[in-house]
Order: sequence, then structure tokens, then C-alpha cells
Amino acid sequence: MRLINKKNFISIVCISFTLIVLVKLIWEKSTGFFDANYTENIFVCLGISVLITVVLALHYYLQQYPFIPVFIGQYLFTVGLISLGIWVLKRFSDVAETAYRDMFISVSIPFFACALVYYVIFFKQIKKANKMLDNL
Amino acid sequence: MKLVKTREENLKENYLELHYDRIDDETNTVLERLRDTLKYIEGTFEDRKVTVAVSDIYYFETVDRKIFAYTKDMCVEVREALRDLIDEYSGFVRISKSSVVNVYKVKKLQGDLNMRVIIYLKNDEKLIMNRSYKKEFYDTLNRLQKGKNS
Repeated sequence: MRLINKKNFISIVCISFTLIVLVKLIWEKSTGFFDANYTENIFVCLGISVLITVVLALHYYLQQYPFIPVFIGQYLFTVGLISLGIWVLKRFSDVAETAYRDMFISVSIPFFACALVYYVIFFKQIKKANKMLDNL
Repeated sequence: MKLVKTREENLKENYLELHYDRIDDETNTVLERLRDTLKYIEGTFEDRKVTVAVSDIYYFETVDRKIFAYTKDMCVEVREALRDLIDEYSGFVRISKSSVVNVYKVKKLQGDLNMRVIIYLKNDEKLIMNRSYKKEFYDTLNRLQKGKNS
């Protein structure tokens, strides 16, 4: 089943963008951090939301391939595109010295967390299915 | 619903007879199960025409555009398309582009790190279910489970 399609793509991007910005604002408020490049970072958040939604939408087309190569491929694709984005951004405005490292961490943590959740759900489904097979 | 078993000596063939005023849900579920159990499929095995009970089939597989039905000790070539087999017989579900399995013949499932599901059949054969067919399989399992409980 196709979870992300043409009809809900924009809505999913908007929801992801809102959540990312909310996390950013809560984190800034709680640590007292002042974002000197506020506007640029908001656009980066939007870019990441679009990118992640595109990567997740690709999942439907890649289901017949083994999960680990697909996951590594999607991860490298995302990290590569974000690094490219930072490199382009660097040409037009000032970016923090730790920009690459920060973005790498920001992308890696949700990616691996999602993979972990996916694995847990996958094995739970199998456990439930085995119980049902025993009762059948 | 009541089950009455009567032993009759020298009977040529066992038979079931249903007495009813109206077919309720319980009776309907039993009939659904029987419908598949008493269905037969024709095919060829070692150049002979054979008839196999659908309930004896573990899985169907497409090999070189030919469809084979696998029972405990036979591999019968059948003429029907995989899609028609799924539509016609409840309990059969697609697990890959070329295979359809009988859920009642599945012993257990096991996952691997690549998120593929290994299906162990009651005849100790192993089949691989692709990630894209997982939902269809679980939906069928849920449907059969509900049918059994109702």
C-alpha cells in the first residue's frame, strides 16, 4: 500500500515541517540558545521536511529489495543531499563551523531511531502472526 | 450448531448432510471452511491427469510461466492463474510475485535482518515472503482468524 501519494504529500511535508520547527523552538527556549541565522535555518528545516518525505515515499518502490541495502542507500542519499545543501548554502551565507557535524547528527539520530522502531514493529507483527497461526 | 456423527458400515463414500431452518453465521463459517476443504483442482503429474484436494496444497509457484501446486508428495502442474487461485480459494495468499501459499499449511514465521519473512510450512519446506506482500498476508490471517472466532 502506498502511504505517501500525490494527494497527501504536501500535508505530510507541512506536518513534518511544523514538528521539526516546534522541536527547534522548544530546544532553543529550554537551552536559552539564540539562533543568529533564524531565517536560513527555517528554510533548511523546510528543505529537510521535503527531502525526508521524498525518501520515505521511495520506500513503496523499494519494497522488493532487501531492507539493509535500501536503508543504507536512503541514508547515504539523504546525508549526501543535505551535505550538498550546506555546501551550496555556504556559498551565499555564513554557516556555523560545525554545520556538517550538526546536520549529520540531526539526520542520523531520527534515521536510526525510525529503523529501530520499524524493526521492533516488524518482529512484533511476526510474533502476533505466529500466535494467530497456532490458533488457526 | 450440533454435530451428529453416525457410523455406517459398508458405506462407499463418507458424506456430510446439513439440516437447517436458516443458515446463521456459525453455520456459514463451517460451510466456508468446508467449501475449500471439499474443492478439488485438476492438473498433470508425471504425464498423468490427477485431481488434488485444494486443502492438500501447500503452495502454488510459477516457474517458467507454468504454475505448479505443491502437495506433501506431489508437484502438480495446474492451468489456473495465480490471481484466480487467490480469488477462488480463501486461505491462499500471495507471498511473492511468483508464489501463493496456503495459510492453513504454515507452521510458523520467522523474520530476518533484511525484513524478509521466512515461512516454514508444515512439510518443513521454507518459503520467503517479500516485504511488499506482508500486509496482504497479515490481512488474510486476520480475516481467517475472525472467521474462525465468529
